[in-house]
Amino acid sequence: MLLQDKTAVVTGCLQGIGRATLDLFAAHGANVFACCQIASDEFSSHCSELAKQHGVQIIPLYFDLLDDAAVKQGAVAIQKTGLPLDVLVNVAGMNKDALFHMVTMEQLRLTFQINVFSQIAFTQYITRIMLRHKQGSVINIASIAGMDGNPGQLAYAASKAAVIAVTKTMAAELGPLGIRVNAVAPGVIATAMTAAVPGEALARLRARSKLLRVGEPVEVAKVCLYLASDRASFITGQVIRVDGGMG
Amino acid sequence: MLLKEKTVIITGTSRGIGRAMLEAFSANGANVIAHARTRSEELESVMASLQSTYGNLISPVYFELTDYPAMKAFVKDLVARKVTVDALVNNAGITHNALFQMTGEEELRRQFEVNFFSLFLFTQQISRLMTRRQAGSIINIASTAGSDGNPGKAAYGATKAAVICLTKSIAAELGGSHVRANAIAPGITETRMLASMPELAVLEAKQAADLRRGGKPSEVADVAVFLASELASYITGQVIRVDGGLK
Repeated sequence: MLLQDKTAVVTGCLQGIGRATLDLFAAHGANVFACCQIASDEFSSHCSELAKQHGVQIIPLYFDLLDDAAVKQGAVAIQKTGLPLDVLVNVAGMNKDALFHMVTMEQLRLTFQINVFSQIAFTQYITRIMLRHKQGSVINIASIAGMDGNPGQLAYAASKAAVIAVTKTMAAELGPLGIRVNAVAPGVIATAMTAAVPGEALARLRARSKLLRVGEPVEVAKVCLYLASDRASFITGQVIRVDGGMG
Repeated sequence: MLLKEKTVIITGTSRGIGRAMLEAFSANGANVIAHARTRSEELESVMASLQSTYGNLISPVYFELTDYPAMKAFVKDLVARKVTVDALVNNAGITHNALFQMTGEEELRRQFEVNFFSLFLFTQQISRLMTRRQAGSIINIASTAGSDGNPGKAAYGATKAAVICLTKSIAAELGGSHVRANAIAPGITETRMLASMPELAVLEAKQAADLRRGGKPSEVADVAVFLASELASYITGQVIRVDGGLK
């Protein structure tokens, strides 16, 4: 139980890495503010199930990252509960493939709005709450694309490179105040985001990983769990590649 | 209890990070083959105390890692007893502080003999036990000096850079056999090795870290436990800096 009695905020909880992180954190004793974009019965009943199963509080929160006021309201709602916050995992993000000459300015701006700007704003609010207790752990989900570049993913890769730079800057500023900030750079993970990759391309990607396979969302969640915990107390400002050894 | 019923070999358990490894791995349920250069009553009483607290099995083994016949005999005995090795932590190492132009040839060779050649040869032998079983995790203790290049650490840093490169080659070759290999790069850690360094340089380095302090040996040991465990199942070929955010 690595997060006993801790409270975490996780974004992008509907599916994939965010869902796996929510489930794993709950199993390790954390109360979780489970954020996603659109309210649904499936999601709210999943949250109640988790809460019952693990004897923790799972509080669903719905806001659209494209709506600055809604993001602020989400943070205010969290703050109003008065629960001290220990962990923030910024998972929510988007990708839309386009080769360099086909990238539109609109897509580029949208990608940065969701992956970078609104994430920065939300983190500003949440870390202010953490600073009251001079402790906390922030984990930003970046991507190996943000380190290596990737054909067809210019906007996504650039936004994730920005997330990495933001991570290191935040680590430098908040470190003296007791808050650790790290990024996780997943490789090719079996989620909705990679479901559309054609068979041949996927086989080539698998072959590039030293473990000769794609990763499961829970394998990224496990690393978030570790970084969130006190067992990672001297790790900050780092980017941990969770990619089966692709680079 | 991240390593219940796993067997781990740890080198250099006499003091410092290696000693902290012995404690952290025991606390996580692992059976430990604890290597040290020479037998000591203090070490043996710590081992007895850990076993009684955690109910695990700790078997000491004493030999110089540069005594290659002794190393071979140890491995031969492991094979004969059909010991399962789930993880290997190559922690033993020595340091040398000298400016580049003042570094003697003999000392340079000794650094490489202990920190790199013995690690290379030991891991060659132990990794065969792992590839036969198609499972294992190799953790090499490198140093931030191996990536950053630090004044006074030309020889030491070079040995650690070699360890880092070796780690990636091992990960590349053995990934297909489900053996992971990663390195940990500790920054400023409160050990006897640190005490041998000029005080002002150490103070400056601590101030340069985001967390404004040196690390405890247990904080490095915790990362080794993480890498040895299933939590790191999709991490291989990586260098994890445990440095409180040292630039």
